[in-house]
Amino acid sequence: MSTAIIRAVGLTKRFGDFTAVDDLTIEVEAGTIFAFLGANGSGKSTTIRMLIGLLQPTGGSIEVDGIDVIHHARRVRDHIGYMGQKVSLYQGLSLRENVEFYAGLHGLEGQALTSRWSELSERFELRQAETEKAEDLPAGIRQRAGLALSTLHQPRVLFLDEPTAGVDIRNRGLFWELIQEEADSEVTVFVTTHFLEEVDYCDHVAFIDAGRLIADASPAELRQRYSEGYQVDLEAGPDDSAIIEPLAARTEQIDGGVRAWFPSLTPEVLGRLEVLSRERGVRASITQAPMTHVFRQLLMQAREAS
Amino acid sequence: MKWRRLRTLMRREALATFRSPFTVSVLISVPLAALLIFGFVLSTEVKGLALGVFDADNSSASRRLVAELVAKETFIEKRYDTRGDLQLALVAGEISVGLVIPPGFDRDASGRGNTSPPQIQILYDGAEAPLAGNAEGFIRSLIARNVEVHRAPGADNSASRPISVVTRALFNPTLDGKPFMVAGTFGFVLSFLTVLLTAVSIVNEKITGTFEQLQVTPASGLEILLGKILPLGAIFTLDVVLMVLVAGFVLDVWPAGSAIFFVAVSAFYVQVSLALGVIISATSATAAEAVQKSVMFSIPLVQLSGFLFPIRNMPTLVQWIAEIFPATHYIRVTRAIYMRGDGPVALAPELGLLILFGVSLMVFALTRIEARA
Repeated sequence: MSTAIIRAVGLTKRFGDFTAVDDLTIEVEAGTIFAFLGANGSGKSTTIRMLIGLLQPTGGSIEVDGIDVIHHARRVRDHIGYMGQKVSLYQGLSLRENVEFYAGLHGLEGQALTSRWSELSERFELRQAETEKAEDLPAGIRQRAGLALSTLHQPRVLFLDEPTAGVDIRNRGLFWELIQEEADSEVTVFVTTHFLEEVDYCDHVAFIDAGRLIADASPAELRQRYSEGYQVDLEAGPDDSAIIEPLAARTEQIDGGVRAWFPSLTPEVLGRLEVLSRERGVRASITQAPMTHVFRQLLMQAREAS
Repeated sequence: MKWRRLRTLMRREALATFRSPFTVSVLISVPLAALLIFGFVLSTEVKGLALGVFDADNSSASRRLVAELVAKETFIEKRYDTRGDLQLALVAGEISVGLVIPPGFDRDASGRGNTSPPQIQILYDGAEAPLAGNAEGFIRSLIARNVEVHRAPGADNSASRPISVVTRALFNPTLDGKPFMVAGTFGFVLSFLTVLLTAVSIVNEKITGTFEQLQVTPASGLEILLGKILPLGAIFTLDVVLMVLVAGFVLDVWPAGSAIFFVAVSAFYVQVSLALGVIISATSATAAEAVQKSVMFSIPLVQLSGFLFPIRNMPTLVQWIAEIFPATHYIRVTRAIYMRGDGPVALAPELGLLILFGVSLMVFALTRIEARA
């Protein structure tokens, strides 16, 4: 039986003659991180806005945590947290005042708020920034504060629309650790991003192009389907290479060894690599196909097919 | 609707308003500056107006009437030999108001013989409609006060008749310029400022993303609307009180009617006008668009609401258009309270219309806030 917490079927949104989202069907399993990828203008934000009830679809159905979002948009709001592309802090108010404001809207006050915010401000490293005005906060802290605010009321589903846009690499890493912590505590995370390398933080990936879903799988499955998989460079002679070459999809000679490609790192492949390393002292380096390459292949195939 | 959520929304709105030095300075300086400018500088008080006179009767009664009109330096008399000359002078801008005294005025005024009531005609200078309107009111009140003078000594009271003044409109018969402008200024300032501040406030929230964030919280559309307009309404009500006090102490203009009733009506009107601002904001994509819409709204507000130009002097179609502005009705109410001392009963029809406007605009604002594209 499916444990989908987000289910969209035949989701379509048209603006006049323009179809922004076309017959999109996705299911997101509870407690997972679901990445929703696509180029600018591909329909990512339109989709997320429909899923949280901000935008009325032209067609299709949406269910989030068992609630029909199209007909009962308000009812779903206690179940979800949302962080938009612009971190929504009120300028002129301190971070603490922003927290009290959003908490108040969710009915969180007094000791319950103190206790919850104490936990979040510690975990999100926001304690020092509490008295700062929103407009004075650095981008990284603003981003963490936005995430903390969206989780304040302990939602079951978090929708994050390009949460790491404009954040430096160090803070992006820290931010993804926090997202993974949320997922570990059984919060489902639906995240859009255009940083393709961030996909590897996620359990599942959906690609959208011109409003149509063109792929929906785990990062590993996508690599398997749309790239040569894993590239293994072995500093080995012909005898050593012979042990691994039968399992490779393709091999080629390189300086000082051999380069082999494997669609996936099966136990058998890993076993033979271990034998080579332990018994024959062969050094091996394994490289994943970059997601940009996967995305390029995916787009090419999708456009050829259409 | 939950009171706690509404309180949270209202608290934030009030904090944001008071922490913006620009908003606070606008809230204080604009109403007071407008009040003083319109009260002192742009007063329509009638003084030294050029009054063109064509006296076709040339009797002692007609000469006495003209002498009284010019005695208080309200008018400066300019005589014309024909009605045509008088009209030409009006068109040329040489005079602001024309007075035509027809032949037989003396006979009709004194009530001798079986004649029609005495009649004079006032011609307006359209370019100075408010002043001319006031001038007409002045002439009427002067004639009403001095009707005894125009009766022939010993004439039978029942035989004498009041002088009939034929004009296009009667406007501000008390002819006191300051209360007229002060009362109107409330309508202008409150309408313009409420719309401008609300329109910018919400559109800014839309740009920074906080409005979208608000829409995904459990707050209902009604809570968001009330959370926005109630605190601003309270602040503007304080503005009204401040304006009443400044008008009273600085301009010596106090409401002839109940000041409490005036503030209560104004507090309600502010909510109506704020709702209009919410609508402008909710239908604008940028702050610039909201400001442009607010300015576009303020042009007919000045021209058609009766704030500066008498509605009765406008073409019929424009008069009907003027009626669809809530400000038109509010300005009528403010002038009625300030100048006539009217209460709720006398103003029931206008108040009813304001309530109708209020409910309609609130419902429409609510649908705009809750709209999902």
